[in-house]
Amino acid sequence: MAKLGPSGYSPYPVAMYEDILTPPPGKALLFNEIVDEEIAMREAAKAMLTRENPTIFPGPQVLYAWNEEAKEKARLVRKIAETLGAKIIPMYDYRPKYPKIDPEKEINPNHPNLTIWHNNIKACIFIGVHCHYANVALKIIRAETDCFTIAMCGNAGHEDAMITLRDQHTEELEKFIRVAEEVKKELGK
Amino acid sequence: MQKTEQVQYNRAGQRIVSPDYLLFEAPREKQFMTGSEVVKEAVKRASVDASVSYPITPQSEAAHLIGELWVEGYVGVYFRGESEFGVMSEVAGCSMAGARTITTTSGPGTLRAMENFPMWAGSRLPIQLVLMARGVNAPLTIQPDNLEISFLLDTGCMIWHAETAQELFDMILAGFVVAEQPDVHVPVITAIDGFFISHTREAVMLPPDDIALPPYNPYKSPMVPLDMEMAPGRFLRDPYVMKSNYISYAAHTSWQFEVRAAIERSKPYAKHYLRGLIEEFGDPEAEIVFVASGTAAAQAKEATLMLLHDEGVKARVVRLKTIRPFPTKELIEALRGAKYVFVPEFNVIGWLEREVRRALYGNLDVPVIGSPRVAGGMTMPPEFIVKEILQFLGKEVKHVV
Amino acid sequence: MSYKIFKINEDLKDFMPPEIVDLEEKATWGNPKRGVMDLPYSKELIEEHSLCAGCPESAAFRYILASLPNPEDTIIVNSTGCTSLVFPHIALHTVHSLFGNQNAVASGIKRVLEWRFPDKVKDVIVLAGDGATVDIGLDCTLQSFFRQEKITTICFDNEVYANTGGQESGMTVKGHVFKMAPKGKQWDKVPMWQLAIDSGCHYVVRMTVSSPKKVEKVIKQAIYVAREVGPTYIHLYTPCILEIGLNADDGLEEMRRTDKERFKFFEYMTDAAKEVIERKKEEGLI
Repeated sequence: MAKLGPSGYSPYPVAMYEDILTPPPGKALLFNEIVDEEIAMREAAKAMLTRENPTIFPGPQVLYAWNEEAKEKARLVRKIAETLGAKIIPMYDYRPKYPKIDPEKEINPNHPNLTIWHNNIKACIFIGVHCHYANVALKIIRAETDCFTIAMCGNAGHEDAMITLRDQHTEELEKFIRVAEEVKKELGK
Repeated sequence: MQKTEQVQYNRAGQRIVSPDYLLFEAPREKQFMTGSEVVKEAVKRASVDASVSYPITPQSEAAHLIGELWVEGYVGVYFRGESEFGVMSEVAGCSMAGARTITTTSGPGTLRAMENFPMWAGSRLPIQLVLMARGVNAPLTIQPDNLEISFLLDTGCMIWHAETAQELFDMILAGFVVAEQPDVHVPVITAIDGFFISHTREAVMLPPDDIALPPYNPYKSPMVPLDMEMAPGRFLRDPYVMKSNYISYAAHTSWQFEVRAAIERSKPYAKHYLRGLIEEFGDPEAEIVFVASGTAAAQAKEATLMLLHDEGVKARVVRLKTIRPFPTKELIEALRGAKYVFVPEFNVIGWLEREVRRALYGNLDVPVIGSPRVAGGMTMPPEFIVKEILQFLGKEVKHVV
Repeated sequence: MSYKIFKINEDLKDFMPPEIVDLEEKATWGNPKRGVMDLPYSKELIEEHSLCAGCPESAAFRYILASLPNPEDTIIVNSTGCTSLVFPHIALHTVHSLFGNQNAVASGIKRVLEWRFPDKVKDVIVLAGDGATVDIGLDCTLQSFFRQEKITTICFDNEVYANTGGQESGMTVKGHVFKMAPKGKQWDKVPMWQLAIDSGCHYVVRMTVSSPKKVEKVIKQAIYVAREVGPTYIHLYTPCILEIGLNADDGLEEMRRTDKERFKFFEYMTDAAKEVIERKKEEGLI
């Protein structure tokens, strides 16, 4: 992920074609650099704490109580939002919405830019979104908006986000909360 | 002695081992078998959930043998579909429902099934298709010819091309492992040249058959499996109802790029499990280089030895194991110092030559010669390749082919 | 069974739109006796759709979805056509892959779900138009019957390719003028219900959707028989009011008219199907 958007219409910018891969296990991606997870977490917290209208987009994997981990993650997502002073706008499913979405209340992977434009969101976190839909949405956001995107992924991460953390489970989310609290103090917020 | 790790078994009762153990560490024993039989041996060790089959030469035998595995309890679901179009739709259903799925086809069958392949890729289904290539044109031929691979290049599926039965065995196992990575998760087509590999016997080294790959976990898929067990409950597998009132064109563009990006993401995994995306053979200093895949590479290797021993001409082979993803960087690196690049192929249009030209254009200035090329079932004896090279170099041709 | 996939985490419930919260709180899950009579009181599995005003197909959709005995474990496969415009709005796992392969995809899904979940009931239902079922997909449709796949196939017959602009289909009545049949259709309507019987379906019905209660009963019977015995086929007349030049409020009347002629209620069942239906009646489920 080389640049913050917007970077124009088709052909869509795809980080992979700029030779940017998902980070290796144990590491994270900060723009086009492979860094330690903690560094990426600090930068993510900083972006959320300093940019306008920071928002968390929780996906179905944390919105619904479909297993025990999902319940725990939901609690942590709420805590992250409180720590960062971020709004929560859910991506509750992936179906294209008809006839139109309410961009204040929801985000849809097929036109995520509408929610970001409407709410003037300058930093966001994707969490609990299935990887394919996160990738589709992140590419559109990068193309159409100047929003700083952060992906907290339970699998291998998302190179089209400006910061991607991989293998994020409850332990890592707790760590992120600790890091965010530190950064908040440092920023005097 | 206390064991900390619990031994786990798959549904067929085989001990589950890591992909690395199965592919690289397990002891192997020598067997003598055909490519079709090797498919059975690979599937037997792959904790496969489902397979659907349809007869067409030369892949039929491999499909029969997967059926035997179903009888023996190694494969969960197996049946004969109504046509290749039906079969590829049926395996799509199997994969959507969360199964590790494999099928096989050849030639005209591939083309009949064609509509399904971009659908597989766009639906992020990690189905494995073992493709035993044969001719597709009128006049009809059942003979070896890999023109059909050309049609598959841009379907959004990974395409690997095995040179030997041994490599086919290893590729089938590696294919599941790579295709099912959550950040890859697109179909993989493991291709061989029909008859040359499917119907000839060769020595292969096989690990024991009481161990197998870890089962597929559909809940790590980048898309929701269609089993009503994973959120969101409201889910549509395919929003390709491209009415602009539903979905922005941006989504469709982004979606297609995502499928291609997924293929690229497979590179580090494929590099590990295939021990490199390319293989280099022969004198690394040689200025004459064959770039080839599959059986053409095997023939080029023999020709390289003949050129050196009989004619004193140094040559080398760069063999591509993966066509999608295309190993552009590795190829450019391997071709530094080359004076002539020959691309021998078993098809009339020279799809690999096109691919090589595209990769080199603007990166490396070296003449690419799309030759020798045979089609329609013709063989490519190494003498034939040697003759072409000697003629090209303006040397005397002593061999009678 | 997994109601859990519809259960919203308490911590994030405040942020969910009310229609999604309603889907958890007011939907009719876990009750095989649910039916069309719940429609006014419960959260439906389909609310918005983009079919034409007054389209009988939209009524058919509501009745069918309200009648599913096991929606929490039902997967619906569809195909290209007007129906595919509706599927993005259904609150179930659905799939649309290609035009005409719906019964093949459904076969794969059903067989794998039986293999993966031997102790659960997972219903697989195909919903597609007449073009998909009878023309381009006839091979896959009939072959799934021959193979005795345990799926329910429902055909919405509007006797025309409506979504692509009104072309003749195999289900068009002889003599009707549509695009691609500018002199009127030259051959007879395909007797699909009879083909279904001859191809091995255990329960076959031909009807219109003019009577919601009747649709409910037929759908439930078809699903219960498919679960235990083998393929079942429901052929529903859902006229395209647009293509036959009727007003938005004429659909019901058109169906009532054909109830007495070419879509006169027709029902066929094998002995095995009959046994299932009678047992389910005794259990109070039909």
